[in-house]
Amino acid sequence: MSKTILEIKNLEKFYENGVHALKSVSFDVKQGEFLAVIGLSGSGKSTMLRCINGLVPSSSGEINFQGQDIISLKSKELRLARKSIGMIFQHFNLISRKSVLVNVLSGSLAKVSLFNGIFAKFSKKETDKAMSNLELVGLKDKAYIRADELSGGQQQRVAIARALMQDPEILLADEPVASLDPATSHSVMDHLAYINKELNKTVVCNLHFLSLVRKYATRVIALKDGKLVFEGSPLDIDEAWFKRIYGEQAREVGIE
Amino acid sequence: MNKFKTTESFENHISKEKRSAKAKAFFINFLLSFYLFFSLFFSSSYLIYEKNILPSFFYFILLAFSFIFSLLWTSKNSSLGSMAIYKTNKFLKNRKELQSEFNLFSFSGIFISLVLILTILLGSILVDINLYLLFSSQGLSGAKRIFSALFQPNWNIISQVLSSMVDTIFIAFLATFIAIPIAFFFSFFAARNLMKNSLLGNSVYTVIRFISNFTRSVEPLVWAVIFSVWVGVGPFAGMLALAIHSVSSLIKLYSEQIESVGQGPLEAIESTGAHPVLVVWYAVVPQIILPYLSFTIYRWDINIRMATVIGLVGGGGIGTLLVQYQGLAQWNEVGTIVIVIASVVWLMDYLSAKLREAIY
Ligand SMILES: Nc1ncnc2c1ncn2[C@@H]1O[C@H](COP(=O)(O)OP(=O)(O)OP(=O)(O)O)[C@@H](O)[C@H]1O
Ligand SMILES: [Mg+2]
Repeated sequence: MSKTILEIKNLEKFYENGVHALKSVSFDVKQGEFLAVIGLSGSGKSTMLRCINGLVPSSSGEINFQGQDIISLKSKELRLARKSIGMIFQHFNLISRKSVLVNVLSGSLAKVSLFNGIFAKFSKKETDKAMSNLELVGLKDKAYIRADELSGGQQQRVAIARALMQDPEILLADEPVASLDPATSHSVMDHLAYINKELNKTVVCNLHFLSLVRKYATRVIALKDGKLVFEGSPLDIDEAWFKRIYGEQAREVGIE
Repeated sequence: MNKFKTTESFENHISKEKRSAKAKAFFINFLLSFYLFFSLFFSSSYLIYEKNILPSFFYFILLAFSFIFSLLWTSKNSSLGSMAIYKTNKFLKNRKELQSEFNLFSFSGIFISLVLILTILLGSILVDINLYLLFSSQGLSGAKRIFSALFQPNWNIISQVLSSMVDTIFIAFLATFIAIPIAFFFSFFAARNLMKNSLLGNSVYTVIRFISNFTRSVEPLVWAVIFSVWVGVGPFAGMLALAIHSVSSLIKLYSEQIESVGQGPLEAIESTGAHPVLVVWYAVVPQIILPYLSFTIYRWDINIRMATVIGLVGGGGIGTLLVQYQGLAQWNEVGTIVIVIASVVWLMDYLSAKLREAIY
């Protein structure tokens, strides 16, 4: 058994409007695994991912990462911890008016001084690394194009390259392919799988389609109404479990 | 801010929230009903006796009556105050049992229509509308005199008028120019999405919003009066008045722009662990530069119009010249000035619209 990299214990989240989005959620993430998080819309998947890197403050519980509890960190320590946690989003969240290269370099902003950051002075080393990360996602020739001129799939690959600039221990992906067509989805997922296997980065990924889960994930957890209702291998999700997670009315659709 | 640790603390909070919402609803109902009863008696008194015959103790009776009336009224969720508060409170607006729909033929609907009718009645009593003055032969001959003079401008003073106009344009320009960096800096601290995450941020936000709302709600005309006492009558006073008002108006426009930027890039840069200043610099600034430019040009446009008015109270430029000729009842000269102001304002308006179009 490989070692635990992230340990979540009794995580609770109340939003300010009173929505109880996470109810005593506990699970471990192992070094090097590809963990998929599934559940209906509104079940709390995004909330949970955002709690892990503190984008959303948790209400109570523990999130142990690298020997510290994310929840109790002060803002400066939290920023330090975030350096080792990459994140990619459903809507890519690139800076649309900036070039692809600047977008990738923005992943290393935590490493530069305020002055260098403001004047966009990045060292040769960082720029080289940005180029090689772009090469990794197959977009080296697009480095100087404005980010909003790329297609959705390309933008998501830029976002992956940006996250790689952090040399993350763990990569959080919030429905990374939900706004992409099936073919593009597979290409983006293949890149994530490559990063997971070849670069040995742990991935925690919210996914909508079970077919993607079965193809890419090594383990699955399921949330329902903010509670953890399933934890196991993708192959264990049979008809009965599917109905329990998604409700009696649900029918599985695939993505080819 | 993680306010709620448990379900109980949340339910506690809801009942506290309900109590304070009730108090607010009562206050609104109280003000509304007092206003209704007061305007009812006040305008009846004017309509019947042509003056106010209400004795002062009568106001106390009205107050007491409105108090009791609104106490009873607030117990219903369909009272105007309750509807207003329950619909806007973020904790209570999802609670079906508290909500009720507005209906024009309900008690509240009739109440609000009465308030509207009485306000129009009260307004026409207070403003002292007098159609006789507007259409009497004496009034009409005065109108004829001023209009004919205005349409026969005296072009001999044109160089004097133009040089004052140039003063005015520069007053407006300088005021806008000085306001830009100050408003740019403070707008970030006045944007809710950037500041409301911490206690310190929240207090800075509140203070800056308060100051800028206050300075903005004082008209530039009043600022000009203040500065003309402070630094003496002249263009400098006018410039300061416009600058201070521009700062607060631009802070409002700018910060609303910041509040409307896409949160996505902000979250993305924040999650890399970057310093908050760099988060704003990378994720917010690129999104707001063009709208800022457009707002600023628009503000300059407004400032030119305001600069002419400010001159009337000692802010220098063309307005001051206008007051001088008006004081001497030299209506032909006033006509020249009005024509110049109108053309310049129109031209600047046109230019600013074109510029802003080009930016987008
Ligand atoms: N910022 C917020 N403020 C208040 N409530 C929120 C906020 N974000 C999410 N919620 C609520 O929390 C619950 C969980 O939302 P979350 O976005 O985590 O679900 P999700 O599983 O990611 O859904 P989806 O598949 O639609 O993305 C929902 O009921 C949602 O309405
Ligand atoms: Mg989500």
